[in-house]
Amino acid sequence: MSMTRRQALKSASAVVLASTVAKPAIAARDPILIGYLPALTGPSSSTGIGINRGVQMAVQEINAAGGIDGRQIELISRDTQSDPTKAVNGAAELTRGQKVNVVFGPINSGEALAVVPMLARINVPQLHPCWVDALADAKKYPLCFRNGPTNQQIGGAANRYVVEVLKRKKVAVISDTTGYGTASVIAYVPMLKTMGAEVVYQGNVDASNPDVKPEMLRMQAAGAEAIMPWSVNAGFLSRLINTRGQMGWDVPIVGQTTLGSGQTKALLDKPEYWAKVYPNNFRPVCYGANGSLPDRTKAFVDRLRIAKIDMNDTLLWWIALGYDTPMLIAEAVKSSGSEPEKIVAYWNKLKGFPGVYGDISFTPDEHNGYPDKQIVMVEANSLKDGAFNLAPGYGAA
Amino acid sequence: MVESIVSSGVAIGCIYALIGITYNVMFSASRVFSFTAGTLGMVGGVLGSLFILRTGMPIALGFVLALAGGALLGVVTEIVAVRPVLKSLDQHLYVLSTLALALIVQQYTAIEWSTEPQPFPRIFDIVRGGFDQQYWLPMLACAVVIVGLELLYRHTLVGHAFLAIAEDNYAARALGLPERSLRVASYALAGVIGALAGFAGGQLLLAFFANAPLLTFYGFVPVALGGMGNNRGAVVAGLILGLFQQSANFLVGGIFASVAVFTVFIIVLLAFPEGLAGASVQRRV
Repeated sequence: MSMTRRQALKSASAVVLASTVAKPAIAARDPILIGYLPALTGPSSSTGIGINRGVQMAVQEINAAGGIDGRQIELISRDTQSDPTKAVNGAAELTRGQKVNVVFGPINSGEALAVVPMLARINVPQLHPCWVDALADAKKYPLCFRNGPTNQQIGGAANRYVVEVLKRKKVAVISDTTGYGTASVIAYVPMLKTMGAEVVYQGNVDASNPDVKPEMLRMQAAGAEAIMPWSVNAGFLSRLINTRGQMGWDVPIVGQTTLGSGQTKALLDKPEYWAKVYPNNFRPVCYGANGSLPDRTKAFVDRLRIAKIDMNDTLLWWIALGYDTPMLIAEAVKSSGSEPEKIVAYWNKLKGFPGVYGDISFTPDEHNGYPDKQIVMVEANSLKDGAFNLAPGYGAA
Repeated sequence: MVESIVSSGVAIGCIYALIGITYNVMFSASRVFSFTAGTLGMVGGVLGSLFILRTGMPIALGFVLALAGGALLGVVTEIVAVRPVLKSLDQHLYVLSTLALALIVQQYTAIEWSTEPQPFPRIFDIVRGGFDQQYWLPMLACAVVIVGLELLYRHTLVGHAFLAIAEDNYAARALGLPERSLRVASYALAGVIGALAGFAGGQLLLAFFANAPLLTFYGFVPVALGGMGNNRGAVVAGLILGLFQQSANFLVGGIFASVAVFTVFIIVLLAFPEGLAGASVQRRV
């Protein structure tokens, strides 16, 4: 049967009209697409694996409860393999190909440094927990929000602990030669000096060097009363701790969260070397003076146990951060809708979102959402189920 | 300070020297610089930790299996990355093929083993002291390899055959020597030596996939300084490198230690392009 040009045009018009009319009804049942950029393999994957446990649990809980106003959450993951190039490719595919509503990630600063400026040119809201200061700027990246602390906050908490709680005035600041390590030393040394401390030694060390005794001897000779290492390399940090133990030097080591990781613990010559090591952590996921987690966290841990999610080989704050993020997205979509500008407008007014990891707040001018007061130092050797005791000197919450 | 420089510097130097010998053993048999030398070292450390700590095998069995793993990787290197490119040695395709294999093994280790450094077992259950086993084990391994290679090359028929193909493999083949089998055996031997370096240095370097590029890089320095194919030169240059590196760590510290090492390396190569102990090659014109 042949069709005239007029009939063909009529049919096409009818199809276009029908699809236009039907669109809102379909859209309302469309899933909310969360583009997710974790590093599940590669050198930075331990963080990603921990965070992923929380993300998966949150998405399952939201969907099991009926989704957001009937719309399910669909998590579209692209493993960045700890590689900034793959993170950029993944972000482009998620936003341009999959047309996701919002992006969570990347979750490592090195990858985020490549992805954040790229996503800023695309109209997609982004949440990430990366610490490098430049990675959240309400003017440069108005759609990008950080639900983790900044390096300034992390360093500030460690510096306050050394100077104000431990009352140590002569400090050695050391890092590996990575961008993170060197940037941390550059940022934290002036902060310490402003607080009245004397930085008696500062340096960057090749993390692959198997012998850090020369550095430790130099720090000791300089009169250091506290050592502040900034590195995520468990091998490097464990060598510092082991050498301190072998030297019999009773100096506190205060700094990066990796000081308290299971990987660092596994590389210690003796378990007792882990005493007087104080890594950063976050008050809502720490054991208080009474030995208990805060109620909100306790309930969360109970749910993790019921879901048989392992906490022993990771850190609780990673899982909690992963859990909070889909919840934060769901809250925005539920309250305002899934359009980019509505999500951004909601987050711009977010005040005290009660996450397990922390209470997140944003304003139109401040997209760094983690509160200073919840960043604390903990006792590394108190690690149990991924959480730590608060370091000596912190009062009750 | 001097004690620390000597114990740590000589230990590290011995590991570099063993990797240098690994390069040389493979080079002698094939005229190929196989960049899997450092990977063999890494594999020795990782397999040692895997067999002894993770699977709980007796130390002696774990040691033998780690060396066997090195030998196997050596043979695979010969078959996969060297043999196919031997016909066009002048095009230096082996640089790509051996580097590619090294990268594949390194990445596979990162995925299957861990991306974080893992502990390596204490081999002898003795109290830690100043001159600990982590320092003297690499020295012992280096001494055993030097003596073993001397005995092999000078007092056994197989050793003479190795030397023959290293000297002139066309003439060796003309004499009826099984050149291919000897080359495979040389790569297996290199694999054992590389794995021994990683195993003996495991307590210092830990069982870490990223040791591969480190050892490939620093293990090449003794070869370049000591003269290609010259094992004695590699041992002397390796020890000098380790001592100099550790002295630089103490004296200048931090990242400047690496800068100092490579500054000296470049200066030496400018002055002695064939290496400190290498003979200049005569070219027919």
